[in-house]
Parts: sequence; C-alpha cells; structure tokens
Amino acid sequence: MQMIKRAFKTWLLWELVIGLSLTGRYMFRKKITVEYPEQRTPLSPRFRGLHALRRYDSGEERCIACKLCEVVCPALAIVIESKERQDGSRRTTRYDIDLTKCIYCGLCQEACPVDAIVETQEFEYATETRDALYYTKEMLLDVGDRLEAQITANLKADERYR
Amino acid sequence: MTTLFINDEEVTVTAGTSILEACRKHGADVPYFCYHPELSVAANCRMCLVEVEGFAKPAASCCTPVSEGMKVRTQSEGLSKDRQMVMEYLLIHHPLDCPVCDQGGACKLQDYTITHGANHGRYAEEKRAVVDHDLGPFVSTCMTRCIHCTRCVRFADEIAGTGDMGILNRSDHMKIDGIVEEALESELSGNLAEICPVGALLDKPSHDVSRPWEVTRHKSTCTQCPQGCDIVIESRGKEVIRIKSDHEGVESWICDRGRYVYDAFRSVHRISQPTIKEGDGSVAVAWDEAFAHAVNILKDKKVGIVFSPYWSVEGLASIRMLKDVAFKDAKVAFDLHRRDMRMFAFEEGFGSSTEDIVEADEVVILGSDLRQRLPILMQMLRKRSNEGKSVSRIGAMHYRTNSELSNDQIIRPRDWHAVIARAMQQLIDQGKPAAGMKEWMAKVTDRHEAGKVLADALLADTCCLLVGEEIRSHVDAASLIFGLDMLMRASGHGEVGRDGRNLIPEGMNAQLLSAVFGDVRVSVGELLDAANDGDIEALLLIGSDPLGDGLFPVEAKRAMGKVPMVQVGAIAGQISVFADVQLPAAAYSEVEGTFINQEGRIRVATQPLKSLGEERALWKIMMRLAQDLGFEAPAVSLDGVREAIAQYIPELKDVWAGKADGGWKVPVKRNRIAEMLPNDIEPAMALDVVSRYSMYREGAWVRASASLAEAGRLHALDDVIVHPDTLAALGLKANDKCTFQTSNGACQFVAGTRDDVSPGVLFVSKRGVAGDLSSETMVNLSKGGA
Repeated sequence: MQMIKRAFKTWLLWELVIGLSLTGRYMFRKKITVEYPEQRTPLSPRFRGLHALRRYDSGEERCIACKLCEVVCPALAIVIESKERQDGSRRTTRYDIDLTKCIYCGLCQEACPVDAIVETQEFEYATETRDALYYTKEMLLDVGDRLEAQITANLKADERYR
Repeated sequence: MTTLFINDEEVTVTAGTSILEACRKHGADVPYFCYHPELSVAANCRMCLVEVEGFAKPAASCCTPVSEGMKVRTQSEGLSKDRQMVMEYLLIHHPLDCPVCDQGGACKLQDYTITHGANHGRYAEEKRAVVDHDLGPFVSTCMTRCIHCTRCVRFADEIAGTGDMGILNRSDHMKIDGIVEEALESELSGNLAEICPVGALLDKPSHDVSRPWEVTRHKSTCTQCPQGCDIVIESRGKEVIRIKSDHEGVESWICDRGRYVYDAFRSVHRISQPTIKEGDGSVAVAWDEAFAHAVNILKDKKVGIVFSPYWSVEGLASIRMLKDVAFKDAKVAFDLHRRDMRMFAFEEGFGSSTEDIVEADEVVILGSDLRQRLPILMQMLRKRSNEGKSVSRIGAMHYRTNSELSNDQIIRPRDWHAVIARAMQQLIDQGKPAAGMKEWMAKVTDRHEAGKVLADALLADTCCLLVGEEIRSHVDAASLIFGLDMLMRASGHGEVGRDGRNLIPEGMNAQLLSAVFGDVRVSVGELLDAANDGDIEALLLIGSDPLGDGLFPVEAKRAMGKVPMVQVGAIAGQISVFADVQLPAAAYSEVEGTFINQEGRIRVATQPLKSLGEERALWKIMMRLAQDLGFEAPAVSLDGVREAIAQYIPELKDVWAGKADGGWKVPVKRNRIAEMLPNDIEPAMALDVVSRYSMYREGAWVRASASLAEAGRLHALDDVIVHPDTLAALGLKANDKCTFQTSNGACQFVAGTRDDVSPGVLFVSKRGVAGDLSSETMVNLSKGGA
C-alpha cells in the first residue's frame, strides 16, 4: 500500500503541484514590495538618521555648547569648541560630527538639554568620498533649517512617551 | 589629644579640632559648602550636619569642636532627610543653567544635588535674579548662582586683605555686596574663582572655553617669580586651558601673575616654529635651515649670551655646557637688574625657609615692593602680622601692602650706606661689634635714623632680613650686602640654622645659577656695551628680553641694532624684531625638568604637556647648536645633562634618583670674601632713580598674556612719579612737563606725584614712556623747556 502511494505521488508530480500552488497563491496576492525610490516605507518618529542642529523661531541657534553630547558620544564622533560670544552667551565655535565614526545610537539627542542636536529621518546622504561625511556646524545647521518641519512633527509625535 | 568615635570607629585628633576636620582626616564623607581649611568658620550653609549622641538635634560639624568620647554619626536616615531639606533651600533661587555654567561638572552644588538632594523640586514660584559685579579682567561673575556661603567675603577679608565685601539684606534679598570691586585690586583675586563652590565666581579668560571633564591635569612649578609655587596645569590636548593652585602643594593660594599667564601659552606671541629674518618680516623654516643660519651668525665670532633664569635647571646648565665647548671666550649674563657684579657676601636666595620667616621674632623688608615681587610670601607675612608679629620695612616708597607694617621708613637709595652705618653704630654701642665694622663705618659720613629700625630688629632673638631689588640693583650693592652680612653676624643671625640673610633673587634657580655661572657672569649692561663697542660680534638671547625688562633698555636698543642676534625662546617679545634667527624652545610647562625656588626647594616636573608647535627642550637646542658648530655634543640625553649638573651640586643626583628625602634644599652660597668697603660715590645729581617693578608688566610671558596686560593697565601708576615737594621746590605742580637731565642728555616727561614716595626719589615705570630712564641711577630735574 505504501509503495503504491509513493508511485502515485512520484508519477503525478504531486510535490511539485503543492510547491507551485504556493507560488500561484502569492502570484495573485496583493504585492508588498516597496518600489524605492518611487515608493517609501513609513518611518518612526524615533528614526535615527542624519544629524541636525536646530534653531529657535527667532533664528538663534539652540546649541549652548554644554558639550554633553560630546562627552556622551560612545564613538567619539563629536568635536566641539566653544567661546563666549560678543553678547555674553556661551556658543560653539566649532561643532563637527564625523558621520563615518557615528554609530547612530541617538545618545547625543538624549543628552541635549535644549533639543539642539537631533537625528532626523533623513538617510539618503551617501557620498562618494569619506571626507564629505565630516559634517561641520554650518552643514548641520543647514540640515536643521531644511528639515525643521519634520523634526518638530517628530518631537511632537514622541512627546507623550517621554 | 582627644579621642572620639566617628561611625563607631575610634579616631584621635588634637583637642579643639572641629568634628568636620576630624571627619575629613578620618576619611568620613561629610558634605559642606562654606567650610574652607584656610578660612575662618562661618557655619552658614548648614550642609555639614552630623548626629552626635546626646545632642538634641543635628550639629553643624564645622563649628562644633570634638570632645572626649563623643560619638558621631555621619550617615543616617534622619541626616539624609535633613540634607535633602538643606539642599532644597539652597536650590530655591539657584538657576537651572548647569549646561552653560563653567562650574558644571566640578560643582559642589551639582554633586550634592545628585547625592543628597531630592529628585524633583517643589518650588514653583518666581526665582530671583541678582545684578552681577564687574570684577575686572580675571574673574567673571554670575551672582544669581550665589548660595551665600561667604567664602569670597572671608577670603577678601582674611587672605587678600582688601575691600569691604559682605552680605547685605536677608532672605530673598540677600546678596554679596559692599565694595566688591575692590577685590580686583588684590594680586590674589584669581583665587576667588577657585574657592567659589558654585558658578558665581568664575575664571574670565577661560570662560566658556572648556568643561572640567575634558581637561588633563599636569602637576608643575610656576616660574613666574622666585617663589616657585606648586601649580596644576589643566590642558586640553596641547592647549593650556587653566592654571590652578596645587592643593597638595605648600601653599593653597597662587597669585594672579602665575595663574593668568596661561593665556600667554596659547597666544600669538609664542614662537612655535623656527624662523629666519627676510626683508622686514620673518619666514618659517625647517629646523635644519634655521640651525644653519644660526651657525652662520655665531661661528668663530665673539659671542655674548644673555639668558633668563626661568628655564629649568637642565636648560640653564646646557647653556654653560654650550659655552664651554663652543664659545670659550663668550661673555655670559642673565641678571637684568644688577649693576654691581662684584661678589656678594651672601649670594641670591634665601638662607631661611619660608616657615622660619613666618615664625621669626622680627622680619625686616629692605627695599622691596614685596607684594608685587613675591605676592605669596607677602601673603604669609600678612598672616604673621595679623597674629601681632612685627614686620618692618625700609624702602624708597611706602609701597602699598595689604597688611599692617609695624614700622615703615622711607629713604633714598643713596641713604642705604647711612642706614647700615647707623645700625652698626647701635650694635657697637650695645656691645655687639663685628670685625670690619669700624672700617666700613669710617667710609660713611652720614647716619640715617631709619637704621634704628634695622638695629632694633636685629637685636631680637630671631630676625630675618628680606633684601630686595633696591639694594640688589644699587651701584654699590656688594658693599651694602657686605655691611648687612656684618650686621647679621654681629647680632648672631649669621650661623647655619639661624641664618636670616635672604637676598630676593631675580628669578628661579638662583642657587644653581651662582654655582654654575658664578665664575663667568658679567652684568647685562656691560655685555650690551661691549656689543656696542664691537667687542662682541653676535648675540645669543635665550628667553631674556632686555628691551622689555631690566635696567638696560637703552644699551639693549643700541647693541641690537648693531650686531646680529639669534633668539632662543618660547615668547617672541619686543626683541624679536631684531632677531635674525628664532629657535622655539619649550615652555616650562612643556619640559621634563627640575626647578629650584628662592629657598632652595627642589621640584622635578615629570608630567610635561606636548608642545604646541615645533618647540624643543632648551637643552636639546643647545646641544644641537654645539654639534652644528662643529663640536662634539657634551650630552645627548637628559641624564647626560643631569650628570654634568651633578658636578656643581652633587646632591641633585639623589633627588633625580628619588633617593633624597623631600626635605633637602639647595643651600645658598656664602662667600667668605675680602671686605667690601663703601665706594665714594659723589651724588652728582639731585634725584635717585628707582625703577618700579609691576607684577602685571614685568616678564615676556606676562606681556604676552592679554588679561595680565589689561590688569597692568588698570593697576598702572604714573610713568614718572616724584614726591610733591620735589616739584613744589621748582615751582611746578603735578602733571607739569619737566626736563630730566641725565648723564646721556636731557629728556622731557610729564611727572606725576604721590605722597608715599620718598622725597629725592624718582620712580620710573619700566614699561612706560619714560622706560629709558631706568638705565640711569641719578637725574636732575628742572622746569619744562619748550
């Protein structure tokens, strides 16, 4: 009896039918593939992508050069130099992040007392040279200016979990 | 001795100690804000509460003395609650600005909030803001952060001796006020920033520059004055961020000069790479090329070497080694403030230790603005006079001090012989003669009554003389010092162990300098004159700046225009425009080296910073120069240089090997020399010139520091000062133009007046418009001409 069953399955290619039926089922199902870059997956508000330095609405930079991000950074990717500005406020004269060192852990934005350094949802900043991944203060402020709406929305969205 | 129990452990301390001090000694942790070991007890922060068995409530440990069998607990549930409440009160008006506060990370308030404070604040009412004080170029203030511990008030009152700072009002309106601005008149004002337990008083030059956690600390020795204080240099990478006093060192305080010179370390005035002169400017070159140029200038020439005493022992010795192999007939000079190069009866340096001076029955300051010259020693003398012990002074001016002087006499420099002769007369009359006194006195016709102060002090059981720059730079200094030596020997203060002869040196390492260079040194003025006359064909200046410092600016200007010059140094200074080649030498913070202070205390620096640019240790430059000049380098390693130094002072070998016990001091040389009788100096002119020393203006390092330069401007007196009577006799008033007749011709300056200078004396600021007058010893004054 066992032998007859096996011969039957063998000659009728039963296994193949089972396999192909799975293929057939998926062929007519709704597709889940995202056609990047035309299509994009949604990102969490907590997504940790490219860094940005933010400003207040008045245009004043938020960073007060407390250097907490520099000291908390486990990859030592941040370099800050500070000085008293003409008006007496404490400001950075240099704020560099080496993105080739950065491990995107997000501790810098956790440490920041004024929400100046944040990680945005931007992740498309691949470059041809490693040099171009060394972000200076001006570059980081530009990112902040460009993505302020997104950053504000993300902070708002995450606010009630903090 | 009292025995008590701290957390059930038996501790024995001296009777009268406070509980807090006993706990600190024992290692039990008691938090405190207002207590400071060097200041009086205020007991106003209430943080140091401890439980004492038998006491109804917790006791403030800083003001409760120990008693026999006392049982103290420093940790308990009740205490935690008490401390939490104290913290809550202290934090009511304290702003939450730790991220922008320089103290953040090294702040007692921050630390104790973490360890003793509550995890949230309950105070939701309005916080107050307090107006800041302007405390000058050194200390920045943010009085809103003040927690009213009154450490600064007590410091100003007890240590600095300036101003009436105090607490005004009560409760919410409480603030530090009074004449707070006077604190900046103190030469110790930088310590205010260091003692403030919170961020109310902070260092201004390094404000907002760094965080406490990113600096590395290097123990070092300050070489800005012969005191040689122990310091801690805080650096970030190669950059010096701050200089602080070393709390494990001899003295808790350091002066502003030694502290705020740190902005010179990172200033543009540093020589960071070898340069050669090209056209009007200079260009940076490689070391090899610079050495080739230097060799061109120096080879087979008659060379004059002028150096400063602020280098390490090894660097200074290497200069002698270079001279011995390469420039056998070179003239060597380092003393910018000495006119008389005859051997002194007691060489520069202290015979007594600082403790001896503080303990002595009598201390006499002879011709020195000690507060400017040695601020820390003056501060110790202030402590002494606060205890009611006498400090007397004889000098050309009632120099401003922060302490009471029991006797303060003003004389003209030409009166020194008469003062000493008067003192000798008194000693002889009281049956204490010394051989040679009679002959010495016979050469002096006058007797000056200020000598009584000197003689009275000498008759005490222990007496220390602090012989200052007015005597050291006197044209007849050797005979004056011989006279003082006789006085000391006659009154029994000359023997070892009771030695009170202290000649304040110009800089560090005085004992080594007289051992190593004693036989070859000449006066800087003589050397520069030789260069002017063509006897010297090239100059090698090693860290010295005779244009900016010293008594020979005129001679320096003349000589440097004539002969080519190689400059080795850390700071460019005024002479750099004349330098044909500049070789950068490492600063005192950047070398492994030995330093000897005025009392012979030895410090070996072992934690050097990295050099900012291409600087090399001085001994390396000297040895390389010897090699390039075609000679074999006498030493090729630091150990080699040290071996050579051991010929002069063998005991240093044990110090470097770590064998000598810490107490060994380099003794001062005592010269058993022929009698130095007073020279017949016919006072040809009416006024004696004294050049004023200012701690904020003297020294190339100091002038390279922006904050010290700013302080120099604030503290500056008139460039030319005479007594008002001197002008009145000529029918002139203050700020009239006067003509000064010197041996070199006439010049005109506006003269200011001060009541506290001696009549017949002309005070000149070396850095002012009339700086060239400091080359003179006497001038005549007449009415202004055209």
